Amino acid sequence: MGDLDTREQVHPGTAPGEDLVLEIRGDGDFDTADMTLSIGPAHPATHGVLRVILEMDGEKIRDAHPVIGYMHRGFEKLAEARDFRQIMALTNRHDWLSGFSNELGVALAAERLMEFEVPDRAQWIRMLLAEWNRVLNHLMFVGSYAIELGAITPMFYAFREREDIQFLLESATGGRLHFTYNQVGGVKIDLPKGFMKESTDLSAMVRKRLQDYVDLVLGNEIFHARTKGIGPLPPEVALAYGVTGPTLQAAGVPEDSRVTEPYLKYGEIDVRVPTGTNGDSFDRFAVLLGRIEASLDLIDQIHDHMPAGPVNSKLPKIVKAPEGYTYIRTENPLGQLGYYLESDGGKNPWRLKMRTPSFSNVQVLPYLLRGALVPDAVAILGSVFFVVGDVDR
Amino acid sequence: MTYPVLSRAGEALTPAEQEELLRDRLGEGVLETLDANGTFTVTVAPDAWVATTRACKDEPLLAYDMFDCLFGVDRSEAGFDIVAILYSTSRGQRILLRVHCEGGRDKPVCPSLVDLYAGANWMERETWDMFGIEFEGHPGLTPRLLCAENFEGWPLRKDFYLASREAKPWPGVKEPAELDEQGNPIVKIPGPGEAVGPSILDEVMAEQAKIANPHAEVSGGPDATAPPEPAAPEPAAQTTPGPGPSEAADEPEAPDETPGVDFVTPEEREAKDADDAAIASARAELSRIQQAEAREQKAAEQAAAGSDTPTAGPAIPEGQTADLRDEGGLDERDGGDDAQAEAEGDDAGHDAEEDR
Repeated sequence: MGDLDTREQVHPGTAPGEDLVLEIRGDGDFDTADMTLSIGPAHPATHGVLRVILEMDGEKIRDAHPVIGYMHRGFEKLAEARDFRQIMALTNRHDWLSGFSNELGVALAAERLMEFEVPDRAQWIRMLLAEWNRVLNHLMFVGSYAIELGAITPMFYAFREREDIQFLLESATGGRLHFTYNQVGGVKIDLPKGFMKESTDLSAMVRKRLQDYVDLVLGNEIFHARTKGIGPLPPEVALAYGVTGPTLQAAGVPEDSRVTEPYLKYGEIDVRVPTGTNGDSFDRFAVLLGRIEASLDLIDQIHDHMPAGPVNSKLPKIVKAPEGYTYIRTENPLGQLGYYLESDGGKNPWRLKMRTPSFSNVQVLPYLLRGALVPDAVAILGSVFFVVGDVDR
Repeated sequence: MTYPVLSRAGEALTPAEQEELLRDRLGEGVLETLDANGTFTVTVAPDAWVATTRACKDEPLLAYDMFDCLFGVDRSEAGFDIVAILYSTSRGQRILLRVHCEGGRDKPVCPSLVDLYAGANWMERETWDMFGIEFEGHPGLTPRLLCAENFEGWPLRKDFYLASREAKPWPGVKEPAELDEQGNPIVKIPGPGEAVGPSILDEVMAEQAKIANPHAEVSGGPDATAPPEPAAPEPAAQTTPGPGPSEAADEPEAPDETPGVDFVTPEEREAKDADDAAIASARAELSRIQQAEAREQKAAEQAAAGSDTPTAGPAIPEGQTADLRDEGGLDERDGGDDAQAEAEGDDAGHDAEEDR
């Protein structure tokens, strides 16, 4: 059996483009073999069609290769063939959990390039709906993360609230996921009668029910055992990879573009940014709950500030952006969404680059998964918040 | 959970100060700066690309610790630009670094930033995937990050046509100007045979693949020895290094001879669009005529088979035609029967309606 030392073969499950050499070592009695394990492309822990190829050493993950691109639709190419009105309907689709925030960014970029003055009321309405959208998104992750760890009940609670919030947003925008409510120069229509009262009541109710999640999930000792110390992400690594949002804040970096680069009227209200200390899965989840609470605080403040007035401004028949470029960053629920908009003076953008938070969050996965155990891989995948449509665009 | 107070206002350097600092550290490497639209841009020479980024990262007054993103921008004839955006969480400032790729449109190359920021890895892979820009020093740009592995061409280049938009005009109203006086959209309902089917889409996509890989079409010819490189437009492009717009305009209808060579200016593009639309409409017209003929023939056959008398349509008296119409036999009026139906007068039609 001496030739075992030199025996090599290429594993059939090699990641595309990589030569993974499978070594078989030992004296023949206790052969250990590295193997690859493919998670996905349709694993429920991945929120879409993501594939992660794990190189295993026993139960330990030696390396991980995320394979993305299954949902690539060529958003940036499509945007070059559409004018600024039509892009709005395109942007809210890639990250289907935060449609409102997506279209907000491109509207802001276009307005900045055109030097458009947006009416005050439109700005406050945008903030109000963006915060509700944030709560909507985070509730989804609160429910689904618990499901990935084996607890079904929190999902039902999350959808109880989500349904009410979606009903509220639908009453204003007509859409449940794809709102298409922003437009260059303001929002489509004014809020319906009675919206503010509904919103106030709902904010109080969601805040009251937030305690349910703390009791159900955050205080659960199984949850503690599954998540504490799992997948710690140091802040310098997170920043080098461009990780933002709750994943970065859990690492202790209080970076939130609503505070550091205020857009709309966020400079006039008090935005709290929850942060964690260890950057592990538990902190990421705790920060997510903290962000829901902070968003509810913002919603209450926005209610007090909401002015009267017009909600949009008259646009010319053909909207054209002057020549130039700009980069704007908004705090999306999952992190910072950046739009680089370059115009050649025509009615279509010359280049519209979308920098999405999920792309960076997925890129850091190999770092987090290296050295983890297989059951922890699911706990890590679910806690680095991403939506695959947002990764692939 | 803690709620730290963020008070960094006043710590950030102004764009002028940043420019002064960078010019001091890099000298001639900084080509120009621009502070417009809330975005501070520093354009650097290709040699100074990595040095500038390193200075931005390591200089304590700049301290750009967060790698925001990196992407390419098509500059048409001039080639490609690479834009990298950095952000400093400790100082709350943002910079946009811009470099023009060497190698023009044929072989764009740019130094890689992977050694400085780990996040540059996938961003550069995506840029290569979309523009075909090579990054020197990158650990591995293949396989394609977002596109399918066997995809050919560089989708975000401006000379890569959007296949669906080439094959099919925009459905519905494109501009508010296409509204009538009352503000209602002028709806153009496609006639029978006018709707563009998948066959035309296939043709356009085949055209696209041909442009992306010109060697494939001469697979049997003498050039077949050339390896089918995906980044193939170079050899043809080198023969015509500066395709001026006038030269291209001389023969706008010959894209087959020089596939994927020259960048198409918006004017040419519009001309091509118009051509394509004309071709599509002509094709639709042809198919409509063919369909009409086929239908006419079919109707004639039906009429011949349905009536026991061997005589054809015109010999049928008026009353009999009305009967047939009542039974639904001639419900489908096409071009050939219209004149006849009108010639028969209103009586038959009125009768049929009154019967119901």
